[in-house]
Amino acid sequence: MSNRKSRSRQTGVPMITEEQINDLVLQLHRLLPELGNNRRSGKVSASRVLQETCSYIRNLSKEVDDLSERLSQLLESTDSAQAALIRSLLMQ
Amino acid sequence: MASADKLINTDVPEKDVFALHFLQSLSNLKTQNPLNSPAKSIDRVRKIKKAAYVSMARAAGGTSRLWSRALLRRAAKDDNKSVRFSRRKRKVTWKISSKRRKSNNQRAPVVEEAAERLRNLVPGGGGMETSKLMEETAHYIKCLSMQVKVMQCLVDGLSQK
Repeated sequence: MSNRKSRSRQTGVPMITEEQINDLVLQLHRLLPELGNNRRSGKVSASRVLQETCSYIRNLSKEVDDLSERLSQLLESTDSAQAALIRSLLMQ
Repeated sequence: MASADKLINTDVPEKDVFALHFLQSLSNLKTQNPLNSPAKSIDRVRKIKKAAYVSMARAAGGTSRLWSRALLRRAAKDDNKSVRFSRRKRKVTWKISSKRRKSNNQRAPVVEEAAERLRNLVPGGGGMETSKLMEETAHYIKCLSMQVKVMQCLVDGLSQK
């Protein structure tokens, strides 16, 4: 924790080790959807994880775009949209 | 692995929080733009998309996260408003100039290259150090997927009518 404080004041530059970076990357990897990437026997290459993270983010953004479009069309056509919204969310 | 304190905190709020914020944004949109006004469809889509991102940032903790802060800032700039930042206990200079960042980061260049691409995707990533970037990315991914789920539920519910 003291690492964070000194870094925030930018007095010195505490070296965050490669190992810690790799550990962070591993944690990141666990969050990604397991698309055929389950627990490789050896180490998962850090750059690979980052690449997949990039494409995952891009996919999610694209989905947000598509869903926004659909929502826009749907909201346009219904008048009682608000009741429908609440109803649909309650029926998750 | 002596990195117990480096565990990324990826607690995101429940889905309901995201849903609530998004619904509020949407209803605000509706009151601002009555349905019979001849708005172009692209504008509506863009507004909804922006509402999605802003409500996601708010649901995720508002100004307490670097990425959400950057997102809200960007959105507020578009609207020519100003964002209020909550007081933080410790002073964090959350914007590191890229020159300084480059000198800080002596990592494997392969990792750095991929991290650079990631920086372009995560809001506010340009000023983050690599380790901070990892944390923010993790949180961002979780929130984004939550937001997508919420929107999907909405769409499904509306199309069933």
